[in-house]
Amino acid sequence: MIASNRIADGTFRVGVGLQKAWGVQMATAFFFGEAGAGLYFVAQFFDFVLGMVAGLVMVLVGKAGGHVLHLGQPLRGWRALTKVRTSWVSRGLAAILLFVAAGALHVIDVRSGLLPTAVSQLVAAVALAACFVIMVYQGFAMSQSSAIALWSGGLMPVASLTYALLNGVLLTLVFGFGEPFLAERPETVRLLQVLAVALMLYGLVTVLSLLHGARRASEAGRQSVAMLLQGGFARWFVPLVIGAGFVVSALMMLAAPPAFAWMLAVAGLELTGYYAFRVLVFKAGGYDPALSLAYRFRH
Amino acid sequence: MATWGMVFDLRRCIGCNACAVACKQENSLPDGVFFTKTLSEEVGEYPDVTRSYVPTICNHCEDAPCESACPTGATYTRPDGIVMVDRNKCIGCGTCIVACPYDQRTRLEPEMLHEGLFGGGRLTPFEEQGIGRFTVGTVVKCTFCHERVDAGQLPACVATCPTEARIFGDLDDPASRPRQLILERRGRQPLPEKNTNPRVFYID
Repeated sequence: MIASNRIADGTFRVGVGLQKAWGVQMATAFFFGEAGAGLYFVAQFFDFVLGMVAGLVMVLVGKAGGHVLHLGQPLRGWRALTKVRTSWVSRGLAAILLFVAAGALHVIDVRSGLLPTAVSQLVAAVALAACFVIMVYQGFAMSQSSAIALWSGGLMPVASLTYALLNGVLLTLVFGFGEPFLAERPETVRLLQVLAVALMLYGLVTVLSLLHGARRASEAGRQSVAMLLQGGFARWFVPLVIGAGFVVSALMMLAAPPAFAWMLAVAGLELTGYYAFRVLVFKAGGYDPALSLAYRFRH
Repeated sequence: MATWGMVFDLRRCIGCNACAVACKQENSLPDGVFFTKTLSEEVGEYPDVTRSYVPTICNHCEDAPCESACPTGATYTRPDGIVMVDRNKCIGCGTCIVACPYDQRTRLEPEMLHEGLFGGGRLTPFEEQGIGRFTVGTVVKCTFCHERVDAGQLPACVATCPTEARIFGDLDDPASRPRQLILERRGRQPLPEKNTNPRVFYID
Protein backbone atom coordinates (compact mmCIF):
# COMPACT_ATOMS: atom_id res chain seq x y z
CA MET A 1 0.00 0.00 0.00
CA ILE A 2 1.43 3.34 -0.96
CA ALA A 3 1.12 5.69 1.97
CA SER A 4 0.99 8.87 -0.07
CA ASN A 5 -2.79 9.21 0.35
CA ARG A 6 -2.12 11.49 3.33
CA ILE A 7 -1.26 14.25 0.83
CA ALA A 8 -4.97 14.81 0.32
CA ASP A 9 -5.73 15.61 3.97
CA GLY A 10 -5.12 19.35 3.88
CA THR A 11 -1.48 19.19 5.04
CA PHE A 12 -0.44 21.06 1.93
CA ARG A 13 -3.06 23.78 2.10
CA VAL A 14 -2.65 27.33 3.36
CA GLY A 15 -4.61 27.57 6.57
CA VAL A 16 -4.74 26.81 10.26
CA GLY A 17 -3.02 23.55 11.17
CA LEU A 18 -3.73 21.59 14.34
CA GLN A 19 -0.88 20.65 16.63
CA LYS A 20 -0.42 16.92 17.13
CA ALA A 21 2.76 16.82 19.19
CA TRP A 22 1.05 16.88 22.58
CA GLY A 23 -1.88 14.51 23.02
CA VAL A 24 -3.61 12.34 25.58
CA GLN A 25 -0.42 11.18 27.32
CA MET A 26 0.66 14.76 28.00
CA ALA A 27 -2.88 15.68 29.04
CA THR A 28 -2.87 12.77 31.50
CA ALA A 29 0.49 13.86 32.89
CA PHE A 30 -0.78 17.43 33.27
CA PHE A 31 -3.95 16.13 34.94
CA PHE A 32 -2.10 14.12 37.57
CA GLY A 33 0.41 16.93 38.08
CA GLU A 34 -2.20 19.52 38.96
CA ALA A 35 -4.44 17.10 40.86
CA GLY A 36 -1.58 15.59 42.89
CA ALA A 37 0.22 18.85 43.62
CA GLY A 38 -3.06 20.54 44.55
CA LEU A 39 -3.95 17.72 46.93
CA TYR A 40 -0.54 17.85 48.59
CA PHE A 41 -0.71 21.64 48.86
CA VAL A 42 -4.03 21.62 50.72
CA ALA A 43 -3.22 18.49 52.74
CA GLN A 44 0.01 19.97 54.07
CA PHE A 45 -1.92 22.84 55.65
CA PHE A 46 -3.80 20.28 57.74
CA ASP A 47 -0.82 17.93 58.26
CA PHE A 48 -3.05 15.34 56.60
CA VAL A 49 -0.60 12.53 55.90
CA LEU A 50 -2.84 10.37 53.69
CA GLY A 51 -3.54 13.36 51.44
CA MET A 52 0.13 14.26 51.22
CA VAL A 53 1.10 10.68 50.35
CA ALA A 54 -1.66 10.44 47.76
CA GLY A 55 -0.52 13.74 46.22
CA LEU A 56 3.08 12.58 46.06
CA VAL A 57 2.08 9.27 44.46
CA MET A 58 -0.10 11.04 41.88
CA VAL A 59 2.76 13.32 40.89
CA LEU A 60 5.41 10.61 40.94
CA VAL A 61 3.44 7.88 39.16
CA GLY A 62 0.78 9.74 37.19
CA LYS A 63 2.61 12.83 36.11
CA ALA A 64 6.13 11.50 35.75
CA GLY A 65 4.76 8.27 34.24
CA GLY A 66 2.67 10.15 31.70
CA HIS A 67 5.68 12.19 30.66
CA VAL A 68 7.88 9.11 30.33
CA LEU A 69 5.26 7.44 28.14
CA HIS A 70 5.12 10.54 25.97
CA LEU A 71 8.86 10.94 25.45
CA GLY A 72 10.38 9.65 22.22
CA GLN A 73 13.62 8.83 24.05
CA PRO A 74 12.64 8.26 27.70
CA LEU A 75 16.05 6.98 28.80
CA ARG A 76 17.50 10.41 28.04
CA GLY A 77 14.81 12.14 30.09
CA TRP A 78 17.34 13.36 32.65
CA ARG A 79 18.70 15.73 30.01
CA ALA A 80 15.58 17.83 30.47
CA LEU A 81 17.20 19.24 33.59
CA THR A 82 19.89 21.04 31.63
CA LYS A 83 18.07 24.17 30.44
CA VAL A 84 16.44 25.50 33.60
CA ARG A 85 17.42 29.03 32.60
CA THR A 86 15.11 29.22 29.58
CA SER A 87 12.76 26.23 29.47
CA TRP A 88 9.65 25.78 31.61
CA VAL A 89 9.81 22.04 30.97
CA SER A 90 13.24 21.99 32.63
CA ARG A 91 11.98 24.07 35.54
CA GLY A 92 9.04 21.74 35.93
CA LEU A 93 11.23 18.64 36.07
CA ALA A 94 13.49 20.28 38.67
CA ALA A 95 10.40 21.14 40.72
CA ILE A 96 9.07 17.58 40.48
CA LEU A 97 12.35 16.10 41.75
CA LEU A 98 12.57 18.65 44.55
CA PHE A 99 8.92 18.13 45.46
CA VAL A 100 9.16 14.35 45.64
CA ALA A 101 12.32 14.46 47.75
CA ALA A 102 11.24 17.23 50.12
CA GLY A 103 7.62 16.05 50.24
CA ALA A 104 8.59 12.47 51.15
CA LEU A 105 10.98 13.76 53.81
CA HIS A 106 8.27 15.99 55.23
CA VAL A 107 5.77 13.11 55.41
CA ILE A 108 8.33 10.96 57.25
CA ASP A 109 9.06 13.87 59.55
CA VAL A 110 5.36 14.43 60.32
CA ARG A 111 4.95 10.78 61.24
CA SER A 112 8.16 10.33 63.20
CA GLY A 113 9.39 13.79 64.31
CA LEU A 114 12.76 12.87 62.84
CA LEU A 115 14.08 16.34 62.05
CA PRO A 116 14.95 19.27 64.33
CA THR A 117 12.32 22.03 64.27
CA ALA A 118 14.25 24.46 62.07
CA VAL A 119 15.15 21.79 59.49
CA SER A 120 11.63 20.43 59.59
CA GLN A 121 10.17 23.85 58.80
CA LEU A 122 12.69 24.34 56.00
CA VAL A 123 11.82 20.98 54.43
CA ALA A 124 8.10 21.76 54.68
CA ALA A 125 8.64 25.16 53.04
CA VAL A 126 10.75 23.67 50.21
CA ALA A 127 8.11 20.97 49.57
CA LEU A 128 5.36 23.57 49.51
CA ALA A 129 7.32 25.89 47.19
CA ALA A 130 8.15 23.07 44.75
CA CYS A 131 4.52 21.94 44.93
CA PHE A 132 3.40 25.46 44.02
CA VAL A 133 5.73 25.48 40.99
CA ILE A 134 4.18 22.20 39.78
CA MET A 135 0.70 23.69 40.23
CA VAL A 136 1.52 26.62 37.99
CA TYR A 137 4.39 25.71 35.63
CA GLN A 138 2.30 23.68 33.20
CA GLY A 139 0.38 26.82 32.38
CA PHE A 140 3.65 28.66 31.78
CA ALA A 141 4.95 25.79 29.61
CA MET A 142 1.87 26.17 27.42
CA SER A 143 1.75 29.96 27.38
CA GLN A 144 5.46 30.04 26.45
CA SER A 145 4.37 28.69 23.09
CA SER A 146 3.46 31.83 21.16
CA ALA A 147 2.86 29.55 18.19
CA ILE A 148 -0.54 28.41 19.44
CA ALA A 149 -2.93 31.24 20.15
CA LEU A 150 -5.24 29.17 22.32
CA TRP A 151 -2.39 28.43 24.72
CA SER A 152 -0.33 31.60 24.59
CA GLY A 153 -2.60 33.83 26.65
CA GLY A 154 -1.41 34.98 30.04
CA LEU A 155 -4.43 33.33 31.67
CA MET A 156 -3.18 29.78 31.08
CA PRO A 157 -1.00 29.76 34.25
CA VAL A 158 -3.93 31.26 36.18
CA ALA A 159 -6.16 28.46 34.90
CA SER A 160 -3.54 25.88 35.95
CA LEU A 161 -3.28 27.30 39.46
CA THR A 162 -7.05 27.58 39.85
CA TYR A 163 -7.64 24.03 38.69
CA ALA A 164 -4.85 22.71 40.91
CA LEU A 165 -6.24 24.43 44.02
CA LEU A 166 -9.76 23.30 43.18
CA ASN A 167 -8.64 19.70 42.66
CA GLY A 168 -6.73 19.89 45.94
CA VAL A 169 -9.71 21.15 47.93
CA LEU A 170 -12.11 18.56 46.48
CA LEU A 171 -9.71 15.64 46.87
CA THR A 172 -8.99 16.70 50.45
CA LEU A 173 -12.74 16.64 51.15
CA VAL A 174 -12.87 13.11 49.70
CA PHE A 175 -9.66 11.61 51.13
CA GLY A 176 -10.11 13.39 54.45
CA PHE A 177 -13.75 12.47 54.95
CA GLY A 178 -14.12 11.03 58.44
CA GLU A 179 -10.61 12.09 59.45
CA PRO A 180 -10.42 14.04 62.71
CA PHE A 181 -9.35 17.33 61.10
CA LEU A 182 -12.65 17.38 59.19
CA ALA A 183 -14.98 15.18 61.27
CA GLU A 184 -14.36 17.13 64.48
CA ARG A 185 -14.53 20.54 62.80
CA PRO A 186 -17.63 20.97 60.63
CA GLU A 187 -16.70 24.62 60.12
CA THR A 188 -13.54 23.48 58.27
CA VAL A 189 -15.65 21.32 55.95
CA ARG A 190 -17.96 24.27 55.30
CA LEU A 191 -14.96 26.55 54.66
CA LEU A 192 -13.51 24.09 52.15
CA GLN A 193 -16.90 23.77 50.45
CA VAL A 194 -17.24 27.55 50.12
CA LEU A 195 -13.65 27.72 48.85
CA ALA A 196 -14.43 25.03 46.26
CA VAL A 197 -17.48 26.91 44.98
CA ALA A 198 -15.49 30.16 44.81
CA LEU A 199 -12.72 28.40 42.86
CA MET A 200 -15.28 26.87 40.50
CA LEU A 201 -16.74 30.30 39.75
CA TYR A 202 -13.26 31.77 39.37
CA GLY A 203 -12.20 28.87 37.15
CA LEU A 204 -15.27 29.30 34.97
CA VAL A 205 -14.54 33.01 34.50
CA THR A 206 -10.87 32.23 33.81
CA VAL A 207 -11.64 29.58 31.17
CA LEU A 208 -14.21 31.81 29.45
CA SER A 209 -11.79 34.75 29.51
CA LEU A 210 -9.05 32.52 28.10
CA LEU A 211 -11.32 31.52 25.22
CA HIS A 212 -12.36 35.13 24.66
CA GLY A 213 -8.73 36.25 24.52
CA ALA A 214 -7.75 33.44 22.15
CA ARG A 215 -10.64 34.24 19.82
CA ARG A 216 -9.41 37.78 19.45
CA ALA A 217 -5.71 36.88 19.22
CA SER A 218 -5.51 35.45 15.69
CA GLU A 219 -7.17 33.34 13.03
CA ALA A 220 -5.90 30.13 14.65
CA GLY A 221 -7.24 31.24 18.02
CA ARG A 222 -10.62 32.03 16.50
CA GLN A 223 -10.83 28.62 14.86
CA SER A 224 -9.66 26.83 18.01
CA VAL A 225 -12.38 28.49 20.09
CA ALA A 226 -14.97 27.77 17.39
CA MET A 227 -13.98 24.09 17.50
CA LEU A 228 -14.42 24.02 21.28
CA LEU A 229 -17.71 25.90 21.46
CA GLN A 230 -19.44 25.15 18.16
CA GLY A 231 -17.43 22.59 16.22
CA GLY A 232 -16.45 18.97 16.63
CA PHE A 233 -15.25 19.30 20.22
CA ALA A 234 -18.27 21.28 21.47
CA ARG A 235 -20.25 18.15 22.36
CA TRP A 236 -17.49 17.33 24.86
CA PHE A 237 -16.26 20.75 25.91
CA VAL A 238 -19.58 22.40 26.78
CA PRO A 239 -21.20 19.60 28.80
CA LEU A 240 -18.03 18.29 30.45
CA VAL A 241 -15.72 21.29 30.98
CA ILE A 242 -18.36 23.98 31.52
CA GLY A 243 -21.35 21.92 32.62
CA ALA A 244 -20.00 19.09 34.78
CA GLY A 245 -16.68 20.72 35.69
CA PHE A 246 -18.03 24.05 36.92
CA VAL A 247 -21.79 24.61 36.88
CA VAL A 248 -23.23 21.28 38.06
CA SER A 249 -20.42 20.60 40.52
CA ALA A 250 -20.78 24.12 42.03
CA LEU A 251 -24.55 23.70 42.44
CA MET A 252 -24.08 20.25 43.96
CA MET A 253 -21.46 21.57 46.36
CA LEU A 254 -23.75 24.39 47.48
CA ALA A 255 -26.44 21.86 48.33
CA ALA A 256 -24.05 19.23 49.64
CA PRO A 257 -25.07 17.28 52.75
CA PRO A 258 -22.21 15.91 54.89
CA ALA A 259 -22.06 12.61 53.02
CA PHE A 260 -19.06 10.87 51.49
CA ALA A 261 -20.94 9.82 48.36
CA TRP A 262 -21.91 13.41 47.70
CA MET A 263 -18.32 14.68 48.02
CA LEU A 264 -17.13 11.85 45.79
CA ALA A 265 -19.72 12.73 43.14
CA VAL A 266 -18.76 16.43 43.15
CA ALA A 267 -15.05 15.64 42.95
CA GLY A 268 -15.70 13.11 40.17
CA LEU A 269 -17.65 15.61 38.11
CA GLU A 270 -15.06 18.34 38.55
CA LEU A 271 -12.13 16.06 37.77
CA THR A 272 -13.91 14.76 34.67
CA GLY A 273 -14.39 18.34 33.49
CA TYR A 274 -10.78 19.15 34.25
CA TYR A 275 -9.44 16.13 32.34
CA ALA A 276 -11.66 17.03 29.39
CA PHE A 277 -10.28 20.58 29.52
CA ARG A 278 -6.70 19.33 29.34
CA VAL A 279 -7.36 16.91 26.46
CA LEU A 280 -9.53 19.26 24.41
CA VAL A 281 -7.30 22.30 24.80
CA PHE A 282 -4.43 20.19 23.48
CA LYS A 283 -6.48 18.83 20.60
CA ALA A 284 -7.87 22.22 19.58
CA GLY A 285 -4.50 24.04 19.61
CA GLY A 286 -3.78 25.39 16.14
CA TYR A 287 -0.98 27.16 14.28
CA ASP A 288 -1.60 30.33 12.31
CA PRO A 289 -1.07 30.19 8.53
CA ALA A 290 2.57 31.09 7.80
CA LEU A 291 1.70 34.08 5.65
CA SER A 292 -1.68 34.84 7.17
CA LEU A 293 -3.17 33.88 3.78
CA ALA A 294 -0.98 34.31 0.72
CA TYR A 295 -3.53 36.12 -1.37
CA ARG A 296 -3.88 38.91 1.17
CA PHE A 297 -0.11 39.06 1.47
CA ARG A 298 0.14 39.52 -2.27
CA HIS A 299 -2.51 42.22 -2.51
CA MET B 1 31.18 34.41 9.00
CA ALA B 2 28.13 34.37 6.77
CA THR B 3 24.56 34.45 8.09
CA TRP B 4 22.60 32.18 5.81
CA GLY B 5 19.08 33.03 4.79
CA MET B 6 16.57 32.41 2.03
CA VAL B 7 14.14 34.41 -0.04
CA PHE B 8 10.96 32.98 -1.58
CA ASP B 9 9.75 34.76 -4.71
CA LEU B 10 6.00 34.14 -4.72
CA ARG B 11 5.72 35.43 -8.28
CA ARG B 12 8.00 32.68 -9.52
CA CYS B 13 6.76 29.68 -7.53
CA ILE B 14 4.65 27.43 -9.75
CA GLY B 15 3.87 24.81 -7.12
CA CYS B 16 5.70 21.99 -8.88
CA ASN B 17 7.03 20.59 -5.55
CA ALA B 18 10.40 19.76 -7.12
CA CYS B 19 11.89 21.38 -4.00
CA ALA B 20 10.07 18.94 -1.71
CA VAL B 21 11.16 15.95 -3.80
CA ALA B 22 14.79 17.13 -3.93
CA CYS B 23 14.73 17.69 -0.17
CA LYS B 24 13.36 14.22 0.52
CA GLN B 25 15.96 12.69 -1.76
CA GLU B 26 18.89 14.69 -0.36
CA ASN B 27 17.97 14.01 3.27
CA SER B 28 16.56 10.48 2.78
CA LEU B 29 13.41 11.59 4.54
CA PRO B 30 11.02 8.84 5.67
CA ASP B 31 7.44 8.66 4.50
CA GLY B 32 5.35 11.44 6.01
CA VAL B 33 8.29 13.72 6.84
CA PHE B 34 8.80 16.94 4.91
CA PHE B 35 11.41 19.59 5.63
CA THR B 36 9.85 21.87 3.04
CA LYS B 37 6.30 22.05 1.74
CA THR B 38 4.65 24.11 -0.95
CA LEU B 39 1.21 25.03 0.30
CA SER B 40 -1.56 26.03 -2.05
CA GLU B 41 -4.68 28.09 -1.74
CA GLU B 42 -7.55 28.95 -4.06
CA VAL B 43 -9.04 32.40 -3.69
CA GLY B 44 -12.11 33.91 -5.31
CA GLU B 45 -15.22 32.54 -6.97
CA TYR B 46 -15.77 31.12 -10.42
CA PRO B 47 -14.87 32.47 -12.94
CA ASP B 48 -12.48 34.79 -11.10
CA VAL B 49 -10.38 32.24 -9.22
CA THR B 50 -6.68 32.46 -8.39
CA ARG B 51 -4.39 29.81 -7.00
CA SER B 52 -1.48 30.90 -4.83
CA TYR B 53 1.51 28.84 -3.79
CA VAL B 54 3.40 29.41 -0.56
CA PRO B 55 6.69 27.55 -0.12
CA THR B 56 7.46 26.93 3.56
CA ILE B 57 10.56 25.80 5.37
CA CYS B 58 12.21 26.13 8.78
CA ASN B 59 12.85 29.87 9.04
CA HIS B 60 16.07 29.50 11.08
CA CYS B 61 14.85 32.30 13.32
CA GLU B 62 17.31 34.64 14.99
CA ASP B 63 15.21 34.47 18.17
CA ALA B 64 14.21 30.85 17.72
CA PRO B 65 11.44 29.93 20.19
CA CYS B 66 12.19 26.25 19.63
CA GLU B 67 15.69 26.79 20.99
CA SER B 68 14.63 28.58 24.16
CA ALA B 69 11.79 26.11 24.80
CA CYS B 70 13.97 23.00 24.30
CA PRO B 71 14.66 21.55 27.77
CA THR B 72 17.82 19.68 26.81
CA GLY B 73 19.79 22.05 24.63
CA ALA B 74 19.34 19.70 21.66
CA THR B 75 18.20 22.61 19.52
CA TYR B 76 20.99 25.09 18.95
CA THR B 77 22.02 27.77 16.49
CA ARG B 78 25.29 27.53 14.59
CA PRO B 79 27.43 30.67 14.26
CA ASP B 80 26.23 30.98 10.66
CA GLY B 81 22.58 31.14 11.80
CA ILE B 82 21.49 27.64 10.88
CA VAL B 83 19.25 26.17 13.61
CA MET B 84 20.10 22.52 14.22
CA VAL B 85 18.86 19.59 16.32
CA ASP B 86 21.38 17.33 18.03
CA ARG B 87 19.74 13.92 17.79
CA ASN B 88 21.94 12.57 20.57
CA LYS B 89 20.49 15.10 23.02
CA CYS B 90 16.88 15.22 21.84
CA ILE B 91 14.44 13.40 24.15
CA GLY B 92 11.44 13.75 21.85
CA CYS B 93 9.29 15.75 24.27
CA GLY B 94 7.77 17.79 21.43
CA THR B 95 8.16 21.11 23.24
CA CYS B 96 9.97 22.57 20.24
CA ILE B 97 7.17 21.40 17.93
CA VAL B 98 4.52 23.31 19.85
CA ALA B 99 6.88 26.29 20.24
CA CYS B 100 7.56 26.69 16.51
CA PRO B 101 4.98 29.11 15.07
CA TYR B 102 5.61 27.73 11.58
CA ASP B 103 4.89 24.05 12.31
CA GLN B 104 8.16 23.00 10.73
CA ARG B 105 9.26 20.20 13.03
CA THR B 106 8.41 16.51 13.02
CA ARG B 107 8.95 13.81 15.61
CA LEU B 108 10.12 10.54 14.08
CA GLU B 109 7.66 7.85 15.10
CA PRO B 110 8.75 4.19 14.90
CA GLU B 111 6.38 3.35 12.05
CA MET B 112 7.91 6.10 9.91
CA LEU B 113 11.28 4.37 9.95
CA HIS B 114 10.32 0.73 10.21
CA GLU B 115 7.25 0.22 8.04
CA GLY B 116 8.64 1.83 4.92
CA LEU B 117 6.78 3.54 2.12
CA PHE B 118 5.11 0.33 1.01
CA GLY B 119 4.32 -0.92 4.54
CA GLY B 120 4.92 -4.32 6.09
CA GLY B 121 8.41 -3.53 7.34
CA ARG B 122 10.13 -4.01 3.99
CA LEU B 123 12.31 -1.01 3.27
CA THR B 124 13.37 0.00 -0.19
CA PRO B 125 17.14 0.24 -0.86
CA PHE B 126 16.77 4.02 -0.76
CA GLU B 127 15.11 3.86 2.67
CA GLU B 128 17.72 1.43 3.97
CA GLN B 129 20.62 3.70 3.09
CA GLY B 130 18.93 6.66 4.74
CA ILE B 131 17.64 5.13 7.94
CA GLY B 132 20.98 5.44 9.72
CA ARG B 133 20.67 9.21 9.66
CA PHE B 134 17.72 9.16 12.02
CA THR B 135 16.92 8.18 15.59
CA VAL B 136 13.41 7.06 16.46
CA GLY B 137 11.60 9.39 18.84
CA THR B 138 13.70 12.46 18.10
CA VAL B 139 12.69 15.63 16.30
CA VAL B 140 13.92 16.53 12.83
CA LYS B 141 13.73 19.67 10.72
CA CYS B 142 15.31 21.49 7.79
CA THR B 143 19.00 22.29 8.24
CA PHE B 144 19.39 24.34 5.05
CA CYS B 145 21.26 21.20 3.84
CA HIS B 146 24.13 22.25 6.11
CA GLU B 147 26.49 19.60 4.73
CA ARG B 148 26.05 20.98 1.21
CA VAL B 149 26.33 24.56 2.44
CA ASP B 150 29.54 23.75 4.34
CA ALA B 151 30.91 22.32 1.08
CA GLY B 152 30.09 25.53 -0.78
CA GLN B 153 26.96 24.18 -2.48
CA LEU B 154 23.39 25.42 -2.45
CA PRO B 155 20.67 23.62 -0.46
CA ALA B 156 19.05 20.89 -2.55
CA CYS B 157 15.70 22.69 -2.82
CA VAL B 158 17.38 25.86 -4.09
CA ALA B 159 19.57 24.02 -6.58
CA THR B 160 16.55 22.13 -7.91
CA CYS B 161 13.95 24.89 -8.16
CA PRO B 162 13.32 25.27 -11.93
CA THR B 163 12.02 28.83 -11.66
CA GLU B 164 14.57 30.22 -9.20
CA ALA B 165 11.80 30.97 -6.76
CA ARG B 166 14.18 30.13 -3.91
CA ILE B 167 17.20 32.36 -3.46
CA PHE B 168 19.80 31.42 -0.87
CA GLY B 169 22.75 33.44 0.37
CA ASP B 170 24.49 35.49 3.01
CA LEU B 171 22.11 37.98 4.59
CA ASP B 172 25.03 39.92 6.07
CA ASP B 173 26.59 40.58 2.65
CA PRO B 174 25.11 43.75 1.10
CA ALA B 175 26.02 42.45 -2.36
CA SER B 176 24.32 39.08 -1.97
CA ARG B 177 21.26 38.41 -4.09
CA PRO B 178 18.87 37.64 -1.25
CA ARG B 179 19.89 40.79 0.56
CA GLN B 180 19.35 42.89 -2.56
CA LEU B 181 15.99 41.28 -3.28
CA ILE B 182 14.83 41.89 0.27
CA LEU B 183 15.74 45.57 -0.02
CA GLU B 184 14.49 46.14 -3.58
CA ARG B 185 11.23 44.24 -3.28
CA ARG B 186 10.47 44.82 0.37
CA GLY B 187 10.93 41.29 1.62
CA ARG B 188 8.64 40.33 4.45
CA GLN B 189 9.13 37.78 7.17
CA PRO B 190 6.41 35.24 7.95
CA LEU B 191 4.33 35.94 11.07
CA PRO B 192 6.40 38.93 12.21
CA GLU B 193 4.04 39.35 15.17
CA LYS B 194 5.60 36.26 16.74
CA ASN B 195 8.88 38.20 17.25
CA THR B 196 11.06 35.35 16.04
CA ASN B 197 12.99 37.35 13.43
CA PRO B 198 13.09 34.66 10.72
CA ARG B 199 15.98 34.43 8.27
CA VAL B 200 13.52 33.51 5.52
CA PHE B 201 11.78 36.28 3.59
CA TYR B 202 8.93 36.40 1.10
CA ILE B 203 8.80 38.79 -1.86
CA ASP B 204 6.15 39.41 -4.44
